Amino acid sequence: MTTIYLVDDHELFLSGVRVELSERFEVAGWSTDVDTAVDEIRKQRPDVVLVDVHMPGGGGLSVVGNVHETNPDIRFLALSVSDAPEDVIAMIRTGARGYVTKSIEPDALADAIERIAAGDAVFSPKLAGFVLDAFSDAVPVEADPELDQLTPREREVLRQIARGYAYKQVATRLSISVKTVETHVSAVLRKLQLSNRHELARWASERRIV
Amino acid sequence: MSTTADSEKTRPPDRIQVLRGQLTRSNNDRVVAGLAAGIACRLGIPTVYVRAAFVSLTLAGGFGVLCYVAGWLITPDEREYGSMIAAAQPPSTAQRAGLGLGLFALLLALESLGLWFGPIVWPAILVIFGAALIWDRSSSDSRRRLARFTRPSDHGARRSRFQIFAGVALMAIGIVVVLASLDSIQSLGPVAIAVLLTAAGFMLLFGPWVWGLFEELTDERRARIRSEERADMAAHLHDSVLQTLAMIQRSDDPQRMVTLARAQERDLRAWLFNPESAGRGGTVGEGIAAAAARVETDFDVPIEVVVVGDRSLDDSSGTLVAAASEAMANAAAHSGARSVSVYVECTDDSVEAWVTDQGAGFDVATVPEDRKGISESIDARMSRSGGESTILSAPGEGTEVHLRSGPR
Repeated sequence: MTTIYLVDDHELFLSGVRVELSERFEVAGWSTDVDTAVDEIRKQRPDVVLVDVHMPGGGGLSVVGNVHETNPDIRFLALSVSDAPEDVIAMIRTGARGYVTKSIEPDALADAIERIAAGDAVFSPKLAGFVLDAFSDAVPVEADPELDQLTPREREVLRQIARGYAYKQVATRLSISVKTVETHVSAVLRKLQLSNRHELARWASERRIV
Repeated sequence: MSTTADSEKTRPPDRIQVLRGQLTRSNNDRVVAGLAAGIACRLGIPTVYVRAAFVSLTLAGGFGVLCYVAGWLITPDEREYGSMIAAAQPPSTAQRAGLGLGLFALLLALESLGLWFGPIVWPAILVIFGAALIWDRSSSDSRRRLARFTRPSDHGARRSRFQIFAGVALMAIGIVVVLASLDSIQSLGPVAIAVLLTAAGFMLLFGPWVWGLFEELTDERRARIRSEERADMAAHLHDSVLQTLAMIQRSDDPQRMVTLARAQERDLRAWLFNPESAGRGGTVGEGIAAAAARVETDFDVPIEVVVVGDRSLDDSSGTLVAAASEAMANAAAHSGARSVSVYVECTDDSVEAWVTDQGAGFDVATVPEDRKGISESIDARMSRSGGESTILSAPGEGTEVHLRSGPR
């Protein structure tokens, strides 16, 4: 059984998610602050950590950043009320494998956790939209085209996700296997995390100021 | 005052931190445009030294005025940009010395360039900084300072007497040097010297008190701005959030509660994170969002909107937004789906939208002629504006409406 760990400073939300997920997953533990979370996650070594983005003491970013440094095998799913682009992109760039908003339905959340445990990435429609937006401009001259551009197929997969289709439906609509959809999404995630293009940072910061 | 309150309102407090590094002109502490206070806040030193530096540079052929005007032009007002939330750390002694030497070097350079108002400048600078020292040391607590000056026997006065002595000494040295260095002491005249000395003495005795009054005034102004901001926030939360919570408590229908909560969430998000665009419909994304909000409220079905590459509305994209709105309403009303997805992609010359639901679906070929929803509101509307629309649907398979405006 997949073990999960929960980090959220809202007790009420934490207990709700714990109840919803305890049937399908083994809940290894939970904490409401950043420091305990980092220590406990290193000790417990869960498969997937659900982490809130906005918390006192550095927030989800510092949890993901700290643990990712020492235990790159532990996977993170960011869970937040915010769907602001800068939050989403920052979490993914720090190493989260997926980003969903707290309004997600319990079943969809469980599916997302399982997909992440299996090594895939989870893109919500909003996240797919942000990525398409961020990678839409022409590639800068000195950029690495391998990393800084999406292939037409990846772009098409993201568009389908942005239109609200589940991975399985995307596979049917594009006449490819679900595994191929997952491969494309993971490739996009990797590009998003490794891409050095300064446009990405500028894109996020512009949206914060505007 | 109302303009200040307005701009305070439109700036959410959490965004200020980003701008910590940005040099802004102070709004609360200004003599001319608040530039000196802004720089002082950035450097972590008392404002009076920065002002002294500007005055000193002004004696160097007016260079300070030039600097000030240039600085004024290139730095934004903190009302537009958000204030620096915390002043910088006070610099170390070495850094202070560095700043001082830097200014000294600049003055020497200006002197050697000939930008100089004559031999009086150096002593005058000495006097200026002496006065600045006194000013700075005596402005820490306006009330105690007032007491110190009215009751010289006060215990707390002993510490500051030395500082005042140091300031007086600096000024005296400056004045003596002025007198000694001037070749034509007659040109200054006894009256001018008397005026200078009297002014210096007057400033020493009453300057801090006047300054204290001024400081209290700015404190009061700052407090008023804050309370206006708070009142504004409270009013908004009351109008929207509390009302919605009350409605949710009175509602028995879970679907209705979800819709109310979502509508409130959207409203609050727009207010907190995107105040400039709230309530306007200037771009395709805003138009779609507004249409989605209307449909959500009318039909109690949540609508997920994703927009890529937003751009401003024109006639043909306006038509697309209207058609998309109709498609959303159709999906919400007839599909029975729990949510509707809207995806809009804008490129340089075209706008495309997909309105998707995972609901009942229908057989596109068997729609009766008299049902005008699709044929009139979507198809005809799009083709009239040079765009096109495609509807993919089958019973049990959900529906996807694709709209495009502009060339393929």
